[in-house]
Amino acid sequence: MLQAPEIILETHNLSKSFAAVQAVQEVNWSVPKGQVSALLGDNGAGKSTLVKLVCGAIMPSSGEIWVRGQPARITAPNDALELGIAPVYQDLALIESRNVTQNLFLGGELTHGLFNWFLDHKRMELETQRVLAEIRSRIPSAKEIVRKLSGGQRQAVAIARTLIRGGEIIIMDEPTAALGVEQTREVLNLIQTLKTQGKTVILITHNISHVFEVADQVSVMFRGEMIGTKRTEDTTPDEVIAMIVGAKSDQKTLGSA
Amino acid sequence: MENIQRGSSNFKQSQEKVIDFLLENGLYLSTIILFIGFSVSIPNFFGLETAVNILSSASLKGIIAAGFTIALIAGLIDTSILGVAAFTTILTGVLYQQLGWSLAATLLTVTFAACVCAAINYSLVVLAKVNSFVVTTATGGLFLGAALFFGNGQTIVIVRTEFQDVLMARPLGIPVSVWLLFLVYTVAYIMLNHTKLGAHIYASGANANVARVTGVRTARVTMIAFALCALATALGTVLSTARSGSTLLFGTTFPSFDLAEIFTAVLLGGASLFGGSGKIERNLVAILFLTILVFGLQMLGTKTGIWLVVKGIAFVAAIIFDVIRQRRI
Repeated sequence: MLQAPEIILETHNLSKSFAAVQAVQEVNWSVPKGQVSALLGDNGAGKSTLVKLVCGAIMPSSGEIWVRGQPARITAPNDALELGIAPVYQDLALIESRNVTQNLFLGGELTHGLFNWFLDHKRMELETQRVLAEIRSRIPSAKEIVRKLSGGQRQAVAIARTLIRGGEIIIMDEPTAALGVEQTREVLNLIQTLKTQGKTVILITHNISHVFEVADQVSVMFRGEMIGTKRTEDTTPDEVIAMIVGAKSDQKTLGSA
Repeated sequence: MENIQRGSSNFKQSQEKVIDFLLENGLYLSTIILFIGFSVSIPNFFGLETAVNILSSASLKGIIAAGFTIALIAGLIDTSILGVAAFTTILTGVLYQQLGWSLAATLLTVTFAACVCAAINYSLVVLAKVNSFVVTTATGGLFLGAALFFGNGQTIVIVRTEFQDVLMARPLGIPVSVWLLFLVYTVAYIMLNHTKLGAHIYASGANANVARVTGVRTARVTMIAFALCALATALGTVLSTARSGSTLLFGTTFPSFDLAEIFTAVLLGGASLFGGSGKIERNLVAILFLTILVFGLQMLGTKTGIWLVVKGIAFVAAIIFDVIRQRRI
């Protein structure tokens, strides 16, 4: 285990309020590079809002986001994408009637030939196969129609798309929420594969056993505040549950390292 | 017991395979069967002349159907093609025959008019966010009314010959309209299957929200799809105007045509009313199928009422076909 992993993403006093509601309050959060960081919290704790701020889907009221040690200006999803921050949407945002390759490259198709007018089917397919192999997905073919894939395989397609687009920080919002046991296993394996590829994964979830299985650090939010970040090896599920329900909100004992 | 179950599941599987095969190839099979059937039962049916006649008769609506299909794949049902046809034929008659404009100037203006029609559809659908079927039904009526008003409600007979000389020419023995039919389908096929625009048309039609989130400019896709549909309609209309030598289109007593036929051809061809799917090349076969059907019945001396019934049955069958396919995918 590295002693002090490089921090790839951090927020400094990040706040967001919607009218009178403080959805995210003065959050300081550090995400180490190449590791899996879990973000936990009850419904309405502010996890999704925090992640949306980082992805450029919404703008902060105050505070800063730093990426790779430098302050970042993220005003739109594309800004975040350029910095390698790639969200995997909960509904996955896939076109059911199109195949895997077509989905991976939708909106960013590779072209060649006269005036670059024509789709480079071959190169897109090879790239798709490469990325699918990289994440050890068991999708039978790059030409498979998404409608025919299982929930776990779809998750893999959505993740493969973030990699194709140069994603370095992959943000997954409840990736196992709608999956069965076997497919959940597939997705957890996928997260570990991403980690071995050197990608940074942010995992939003409600499932504490998943956190202890795949995450290196766990951060807990409570009513818009970041109440603590811990290495999973230094904490226990009971302690994390206590943090989530707010029974133990002494920030000093739980303060981030 | 287990064996019986396995047997029945095997039977079910092979049944599924047969249905899949028929859904995939039924159109080709029926077209071939129909052609052979008429060739056997009607003397003089089988021959180059009939083939050219069928193609030439299929070409005008075939071109319009190509545009209609592109719009349908993009998730737009553009019923305003009726109005666009009426408006462009009357415009052609007024400019070319009554005002004596040159052919080139007339065609250019007609092209522009088609684009204006498309722009109106686009604005209402994208900016006002109204369903395309509703919008185009309204604008179609508007264009038709404008056409009748503009032409004083009269049929314009085109007497100047240059029009027919150019548009009814037969290079290499094949009418211009048939050449254009193949050109339109070739270009449409390449555009839909091998360009970014095509990929975006399919994606927007299948799921506009997802397409937008992933970076497809869906409003632009809508604009282009409407434009292509209106332009194809204008082209088919001008050719039909040349063929009939007047502003009565497609052998009707009206400056427009039967939308049901276009729907039948497009749905038989495998495009879906729900958008996002369809193969344009199958469209061409579906148009040929319907044309052969009408041709054969005509040559057999069947009464007009019967054709209408047959066409109606084909339309209903096409809709059922679409629904079955949608449930199966």
